[in-house]
Amino acid sequence: MTAVIELTDLCVSYRDMRALDGVTLSFGKGATGLLGPNGAGKSTLIKTLLGFVRAESGAIRVFDLEMPARAIDVRHRLGYMPEREISSPKVSAVSFLTYCGRIFGMSRVDALERAHEVLNYVKLGDSRYRNMETYSTGMLQRVKLAQAILHDPKLLLFDEPTNGLDPDGRIEILNLIQDIAERPGVSVIVSSHLLPDVQHVCSQVVMIDKGRVVQSGDIQALTPRHDNHFEIRFRDNDAACVAALRAAGHRCERLHPGNTWLVQCAGADGVRTIFETAARCSTQVRHLQPARHSLESVFLQAVGKD
Amino acid sequence: MPIYTNTYRQYDGQPRHRFRWLVVVEQELKTLAKFRVFKLLCLAAFLHIIVRLLQIVAYDVLAQDPNNPLQLIFANLDVVEIKASTFFGFLYLQTSVMFIILLYSGAGMICNDVRNNLMEIYFSKPLTWVDYALGKIMTLVLLGLSITALPGVLLVGLHNLLLPGMETLQASWWWPLSIMAYSLLIVIPAALCILACSAQLPSQNYATITIIMALVADSSLAGLLAGLLRQRNFLGVSFPLALRRIGEVLFKDTRVLFTLSWHWCLLFVVAVTLFALFIVLRKVRREEIAQ
Repeated sequence: MTAVIELTDLCVSYRDMRALDGVTLSFGKGATGLLGPNGAGKSTLIKTLLGFVRAESGAIRVFDLEMPARAIDVRHRLGYMPEREISSPKVSAVSFLTYCGRIFGMSRVDALERAHEVLNYVKLGDSRYRNMETYSTGMLQRVKLAQAILHDPKLLLFDEPTNGLDPDGRIEILNLIQDIAERPGVSVIVSSHLLPDVQHVCSQVVMIDKGRVVQSGDIQALTPRHDNHFEIRFRDNDAACVAALRAAGHRCERLHPGNTWLVQCAGADGVRTIFETAARCSTQVRHLQPARHSLESVFLQAVGKD
Repeated sequence: MPIYTNTYRQYDGQPRHRFRWLVVVEQELKTLAKFRVFKLLCLAAFLHIIVRLLQIVAYDVLAQDPNNPLQLIFANLDVVEIKASTFFGFLYLQTSVMFIILLYSGAGMICNDVRNNLMEIYFSKPLTWVDYALGKIMTLVLLGLSITALPGVLLVGLHNLLLPGMETLQASWWWPLSIMAYSLLIVIPAALCILACSAQLPSQNYATITIIMALVADSSLAGLLAGLLRQRNFLGVSFPLALRRIGEVLFKDTRVLFTLSWHWCLLFVVAVTLFALFIVLRKVRREEIAQ
């Protein structure tokens, strides 16, 4: 896998405080999640990649270009969705995005055309003509996303993309990011402290704590299957089935969404037991898959809080 | 089966690399044009220009025409006469309107971008801090010049058109140069001082109040020093009066307010301008490169 970003022994400090401490890492193609608690150094890492924050020591290469020396060239190829809420009074989303396109170097016609195209993509609808100060948080997040993809960058940096969104809005934004990450040749880095967000979008993860990389790799590899643990869903009669399983010595735990259960089977022939129990309770198993270690447990273990 | 895939196309265009500051200027002017107060202020600036236009017509057409019944009135009116100091007077009066327009337009130019978290977005694109700062400065400078130098030079041109001849040309060939120089002297420091306040303060209102208070304090200090020490040359401490002193020299005006050398006044103006420029550039650079 070709590395899009390569960091070597990167150290960044804010006066006396060390924000990134000897980070050596490479980001490949596809979607990578940047996980860590608040203040772990995620935003600092993103700002260092953008050239906003200068490293004390170490080397950064983005698309094989040295940062921050080639910052302008790198910024041609990347899009950034900042964490903080934006607003541009007296300016509509179309006008704002056209301006962003013009700043990028597009012609007036190109910028306007692309502004409409990406606003359609993020489903902003007719609100695009309204002044931005009248927008809700969700709409502003869409505008932020739209400006990041306006020039079709090959690397996208999303800093807490679901901040302040309601559950529906959150899912919509995550679906859009997932769709963008699936575009050919596009790499996405999603910084978040929300594990489900990262799991929704990313195939790779980098966990940061106190400025250090504590864990990184493929999410599938980091969350191996549990022996004799299954995620199951019954057609109906959940209560009776779960009671029967518990009576047989198996541990059952409700998962999200609410009708899914995590069953830890006592013996080796767990699957047979589950189907037999369902049959006894006059119902059917509608979903069964081996359960994996959760990203949360991997994360807690990595930051030493397990 | 979906008949339409919601996606966006690949961008293959070649981005333009130069003159990005022009985009900033264009956007700022477009945004300003949406404010009614701004339009009213511009209209107010043009009222004075129209008055001066009428003055030129009165002097060049009516006062020079012996067959016109109004000729006697205008020919003997000293205030109507067109000379270098007429344009100095025009620019001196226009300065207040220009300052108000620049203050209204520029006080929020940088602080609003910072407050609305737009800097991160702008600088994540290939826009340098130099482009950004130049764009903001040029917006105000162009705005200021459009209501000082531009009408001033056009009025001189009109004067020459209405009263053609070598005599008029000989008398007025240097007026456009003086108009340009004086306009730049009043516009550039005003623009930079306003932007410096906008860069350092958290909101447009704070920036407006600060710059007005600084002007009041400066003029009061000058008046106080001149009064207490009984020395009129201390009036040069006042920034507007220092500008006026240079204007008197540029337009060869004989109504001199104080006799302090214009070199000192120019030095004062240049020092303030450079300090303001330093503040603006430092702030904008820090927005792009925090460390």
